[in-house]
Amino acid sequence: MAAPLTLLLLVAVTVRAALFRSSLSELISERVEVVSPLTAWKRVIEGLALLDLGVSPYSGDVFHETPLTIYLFHFLVDYAEVTFMLADVITAVALYMAVKDYNKQVFRKQKFALEADRYPLDCLELIRSPKEMYYIPLKVAMFYLLNPFTILSCVAKSTCGLNNAIIALFILSTIKGNVLLSAIFLSLATYQSIYPLTLCAPALLYLMQRQYIPVNFRRASFWWFIVQYAFMYLGSLFVIICLSFFLLGSWDYLPSVYGFILSVPDLTPNIGLFWYFFAEMFEHFRLFFLCVFQINVFFYTIPLSIKLKEHPVFLIFMQLAVISIFKSYPTVGDISLYMAFLPVWSHLHRFLRNIFLVSCVLLACSALFPVLWHLWIYAGSANSNFYYAITLLFNVAQILLVSDYFYAFLRREHHLTYGLYLKRKDGSEATLVLK
Amino acid sequence: YVRGIFKNLHGWFINCLRYLFCCFQDRAGQFFSSGHTNNWAVLVCTSRFWFNYRHVANTLSVYRSVKRLGIPDSHIVLMLADDMACNHRNPKPATVFSHKNMELNVYGDDVEVDYRGYEVTVENFLRILTGRLPPSTPRSKRLLSDDRSNILIYLTGHGGNGFLKFQDSEEISNVELADAFEQMWQKRRYNELLFIIDTCQGASMYERFYSPNLMALASSQVGEDSLSHQPDLAIGVHLMDRYTFYLLEFLEDIHPASKTNMNDLFKVCPKSQCVSTPGHRTDLFLRDPGSVLITDFFGSVRKVELTMETINLTDPIEQLESAESGELQKEMHTYADQLPVSEIIHQKPKQKDWHPPDGFILGLWTLILLVFFQTYGVKHLKHIF
Repeated sequence: MAAPLTLLLLVAVTVRAALFRSSLSELISERVEVVSPLTAWKRVIEGLALLDLGVSPYSGDVFHETPLTIYLFHFLVDYAEVTFMLADVITAVALYMAVKDYNKQVFRKQKFALEADRYPLDCLELIRSPKEMYYIPLKVAMFYLLNPFTILSCVAKSTCGLNNAIIALFILSTIKGNVLLSAIFLSLATYQSIYPLTLCAPALLYLMQRQYIPVNFRRASFWWFIVQYAFMYLGSLFVIICLSFFLLGSWDYLPSVYGFILSVPDLTPNIGLFWYFFAEMFEHFRLFFLCVFQINVFFYTIPLSIKLKEHPVFLIFMQLAVISIFKSYPTVGDISLYMAFLPVWSHLHRFLRNIFLVSCVLLACSALFPVLWHLWIYAGSANSNFYYAITLLFNVAQILLVSDYFYAFLRREHHLTYGLYLKRKDGSEATLVLK
Repeated sequence: YVRGIFKNLHGWFINCLRYLFCCFQDRAGQFFSSGHTNNWAVLVCTSRFWFNYRHVANTLSVYRSVKRLGIPDSHIVLMLADDMACNHRNPKPATVFSHKNMELNVYGDDVEVDYRGYEVTVENFLRILTGRLPPSTPRSKRLLSDDRSNILIYLTGHGGNGFLKFQDSEEISNVELADAFEQMWQKRRYNELLFIIDTCQGASMYERFYSPNLMALASSQVGEDSLSHQPDLAIGVHLMDRYTFYLLEFLEDIHPASKTNMNDLFKVCPKSQCVSTPGHRTDLFLRDPGSVLITDFFGSVRKVELTMETINLTDPIEQLESAESGELQKEMHTYADQLPVSEIIHQKPKQKDWHPPDGFILGLWTLILLVFFQTYGVKHLKHIF
């Protein structure tokens, strides 16, 4: 499958290069849906310029990137376009390899379950075959590279592409079973933006599954593994933070990066939910709502991991989706990462209920974002409510998409356990109701 | 018979001389009887908004007359609460008309407004009168009168029984005004003061005056409204108030050498023309109003004395000899160099590129290498070294 992948990479790089050279690149790099105060390329340049003038780049509210990003771009600022295209390529290749490995394991587990006769007889049509799963990795890479959101994010030179690359590498190393690399990439991802912290749980679950450690609170091996992983994770995080301190010689970056992500002082409109709420909030409620909104991101980890403890990769998908919907400064680059996983769950299509509505709403909202922005900011005939309505609708559609896939996944698992055609005790047809 | 005629002629001649002498004495008497050396005018329009166009036109027409009769802008404090000439509802921008059919533009090119817009407040007005302004106030905004100044104060706007409304948000009462004039008297800020007010129930504003040398005129009595004169259909608002309209007509006939006195001013705008009854108050005024010229207040007539005799000027001032004492200290004064311009312009900013510290680079790459070898096994080390 190397040849199609290479072809896909070439096409993707060509599209991006063509867009880089056109006049659309400046237009795209200013769109608020694509860049946020955390990821804008303009701010990176500003921070590097401040550094050249001898001023700390974190003075003032311009630059919110981590010091390692400064280090990276200090040497690569002239090759920025190549860097971002390379980041996209790395992400795609990492996802490709990860999904290939995952499919192998899924198939192996399925084979064992079939041999152990664990599936009821009538749900054989739900069993997956290697033939249908053959093109999934390529589709995943294609979904990522040729997604218009990813292309926009790359052309805008948003550092979201780098974050996506690190998360993809983390997923790859997790699926390959390498505990150390998984911990290191996860700590890098957490260092860049705090939210990938929640990906600890699925990583732990997956690695324990791979090493045949039972997920049981009473077992010592469970806790021992957690301690090991936590030690590696926290250790590498500590090392990276200290290294960042040595880059500029000060701890300025901690309030500038993490304080900014957590306390949301910048209320530029984006496709997220924070800006409108916090623009109209009274000061003495601000801390309360800030805590509520931030906890919302981390809150779904424990319940989801309890429910999905047998399926940690699906948990990674759901967690990524939750992060990109509820984080404080989302951009379309975050969305493209979890959407790249959708081909992996293509066998669930028969159980999806709202996919038509969701896809229509997503397409319509993506088209309406620039229209209402223009009407609000330039024509002056709309106001922020219009734009926020589309933001809300977009996020609702995303939530609906994720919950739909969750429902379909659980339903398939239920059918695999209890059979496809459910019958009540007297033999008549039963329907499955989601309560 | 010829002796009788000669006696008549002589008598007539003596009479003529006597008459001329009396005239001359009269004129000379008049020359020295007014007692003022300079003239000031404080002209205030207190209303804003487009429909109060006529108050601005009132004030500007009095301003125009006063300037024409000789008071310079430096001696006029003009306060207009709103800008009618550049109001966006003015169909003829940069003009303020006082007659319908746009006969007379009182705005012109040389109008100097000292207090404009929201600066026209009761506090500012009282501060101008009493002279208690902050030190940073420019001269054009001050009433720099002394005890030989004749001041004309003209107020117009909306008023009531005992008050005048400023800017639709505050009022000045007649008591405050009387106290301000008393302050002016005690500080010797005027010689004689003429107070004209054109508002509804304007006479109430001068009821409380108690300082000497004040003469007051008002357009209406207590309980009466002052009415506006005529609307202009093209501009859409009333252009002038009646009292000031007829006052302006009266003043148009005055020239700097005219001898009309205050009694004629009191007759301006009788009830038949004004509908309201104009009032005046002269009991505090020390001179007889019949002997007070209009130009004593409305104009700035320079008193010129012609003389035929020659005057010897003293010798030019002799040069003082320079002091020879050795205690003369010569101090070298130089300007402090606040901005070393010569140093700056020849200096280019040094473009220093920032480099990450070496320790950082070392540490980072060591870590990366460690992780790499940890992951992929130590056997690869052989291939590198």
